[in-house]
Amino acid sequence: MDGVTKAGRGASSRPARLPGLRRALAPLPWLAPSLLLVGAVVLWPVVEMVRTSLLDISSSGTTLGGAGTSNYTDLFDEPDLWPVLGRTLLWVAGVVVAATVLSLALGQLLHARFPGRRAVRWAVIVPWAASVLMTALIWRWMLDNDSGVINRVLLDLGVLDKPVNWLAHPAQALLWMMGVAVFVTLPFTSFVILAGLQSIPDDVYEAARVDGASAWTTYFRITLPLLRPSLLIGTIVNVINVFNNFPIIWSMTQGGPGHATDITTTFTYKIAFFDKHVGESAAMAVVNFLLILLMVLLYLRAVRRPGARA
Amino acid sequence: MKKQFIGVVAAGLSVALAAAGCGKGSASGDDSDGKTIRFVAAIYDDNTKGYWDALIKDFQAKNPGYKVALEMVDWAQMDRKVQTYVQTKQTPDVLNYNAFSDFARDGLIYKASEVVSPQVLGDFTPTFVAQAQYQGQQYGLPFISSARLLFYNKDLFAKAGLGGPPATWDDVKKDAQKIKAAGATGYGLPLGPEEAQAEFYSWAMNNGGGWVDASGKWAIDQPANVATLTYLRDLTKSGVTQPNPETTDRAKVFNQFAQGRIGMAIGGPFTKAGFIDPVNKNLNFGVAPLPSRDGKEHNTLGVMDVLAAFKKNGGKNREAVRRFLDFFYTAQNTSKFLKLEGFLPVTKSAGEALSSDPYMKQFVDALPTSKFAPTSNPAWSAVAGAVKQDLGSAVSGGDPKQVLSGIQRTAEKAG
Repeated sequence: MDGVTKAGRGASSRPARLPGLRRALAPLPWLAPSLLLVGAVVLWPVVEMVRTSLLDISSSGTTLGGAGTSNYTDLFDEPDLWPVLGRTLLWVAGVVVAATVLSLALGQLLHARFPGRRAVRWAVIVPWAASVLMTALIWRWMLDNDSGVINRVLLDLGVLDKPVNWLAHPAQALLWMMGVAVFVTLPFTSFVILAGLQSIPDDVYEAARVDGASAWTTYFRITLPLLRPSLLIGTIVNVINVFNNFPIIWSMTQGGPGHATDITTTFTYKIAFFDKHVGESAAMAVVNFLLILLMVLLYLRAVRRPGARA
Repeated sequence: MKKQFIGVVAAGLSVALAAAGCGKGSASGDDSDGKTIRFVAAIYDDNTKGYWDALIKDFQAKNPGYKVALEMVDWAQMDRKVQTYVQTKQTPDVLNYNAFSDFARDGLIYKASEVVSPQVLGDFTPTFVAQAQYQGQQYGLPFISSARLLFYNKDLFAKAGLGGPPATWDDVKKDAQKIKAAGATGYGLPLGPEEAQAEFYSWAMNNGGGWVDASGKWAIDQPANVATLTYLRDLTKSGVTQPNPETTDRAKVFNQFAQGRIGMAIGGPFTKAGFIDPVNKNLNFGVAPLPSRDGKEHNTLGVMDVLAAFKKNGGKNREAVRRFLDFFYTAQNTSKFLKLEGFLPVTKSAGEALSSDPYMKQFVDALPTSKFAPTSNPAWSAVAGAVKQDLGSAVSGGDPKQVLSGIQRTAEKAG
């Protein structure tokens, strides 16, 4: 930061420093298009979000003026806020861990040579290619207590003696929705891991074989450490995606009954469009944004050991 | 690294400024002469768009130079869209919606007398004019109305050995238990986030409860309401309703009602054409007054949608809006809409046209005893939002008194 201000001051008072500034600005023409894009689609919305969170907006949507920090105090007075935050962490941790563990196995399977591998690889992509909303709606109807196929099957198998309204009970509903989230997260994660597996050179495994390493040792001492970069990327992208996931919960339970299955994104929506409190909703969005930043930073710090290349 | 960051921020800010500038320019510059207006209409069913297309074509032919741009919005999207329009200063000239008072409070809409002729103003039924006022002035233009009555399946009643529909709450429970013993759901209770406020009020008003007290202050946790919710909870817990009312919407209830699997449910004039006929045209059902706790006085839930005319471009759009609204409010055009969509009239002139249909007549007759949600209170939409989210939990895990107190707090905070 100092460099720029100094250079700026130099430009006006001491023309001799001008080439320095010019050198600093030289890459700008090449960077400008991407900088403009980043500015328009990333920074501007963030600025607007923060600005909205400091405004007093009436229930009709009219801006009445500044609100100071009252939107934030309203938000932290919500009795539902802390349960929602806790649930969000549970949701993110559960979905990302389950998806990563399953994807490690799936990636290994897709990496192995077997007849029909191409078909299996295509099949794994399907949940990714299908719209998340569609997937979630189909699951919702499959889980319906009155006409859902899951109840039908379980009744016919004698597992249940009467239909269960899966999505009406918060704990069950959350588990089912986490299952759906894992399902739609698998393709991306397993393909990132597959790419990682393909980048591990064969001679490392050969050396391990010569040294007499067992299959487990090979996996935990060689494969997993060398997958670090892929796992890192996959996890960060998944954390952000799952954290911000809206359609699955919205289309399956709307965060209900009450707020019992809300995560921060559905809660944000409800504050804006049910409670008609846009300012407080923006404050919630800011908190959400900061939480994601914090989680990603913590994660990066946790995995970046000295000397590891990531 | 640091220099790049400054560059990014600088670029971002300049884009933000440029974009903000453009946004303002285009929002107000959509129409310069005030002769083209934008009309946002709600989709009531598949026929709605065809009706407006034809009406607008007719209007434009009779008013050369004037144009109406129609935008159809689904009810499920309506709240979000309207709020966004206002927030981004892209309000339509005329909006078909179920609330108006917060627009009036914020000075966004015309008074009714500014946008319709005195004849039209005088034609509105007084009941509805009272609902369309904010601080003693009429802002909303009553558009359609609707009433709620108890639908019951006559075949299921016969099978359960019951005569007529129940009049008291005790009868409702007893009848529901007999219907359940006969193998169907006794009462279909939709308390999900879709329309919990309408279902609850239909019961509460027949127990002397309601949203506000005599002085107009929020009284959501009043004893009569707690007793009502406790009764509904008791119905649920004794197993005579469908499972999990807190997650059920009306479509699900009436779908099962049409299949002959639910004995009783509360519906409106649109229920036959919208829900029952598509599933089973031959369903043998009857319509009765809403049951009340003591069976003496039966109130009906009245519902009214409105048209609201937004001020734009310093009032330049007023003439076009007035022409369009006066055109719509001719007896011929309004009664055509009501018949097509199955709603009740809000004007005297359209009133007679509908009383000829015996099914519709029951609802028209119920209108004089109808009670409305406090839509003239600008805080109502936030209160209704809180009710939709939270009320249902009182019949599952929650406690009726606590749930209602929570909503009462929200209401007091909203104003």
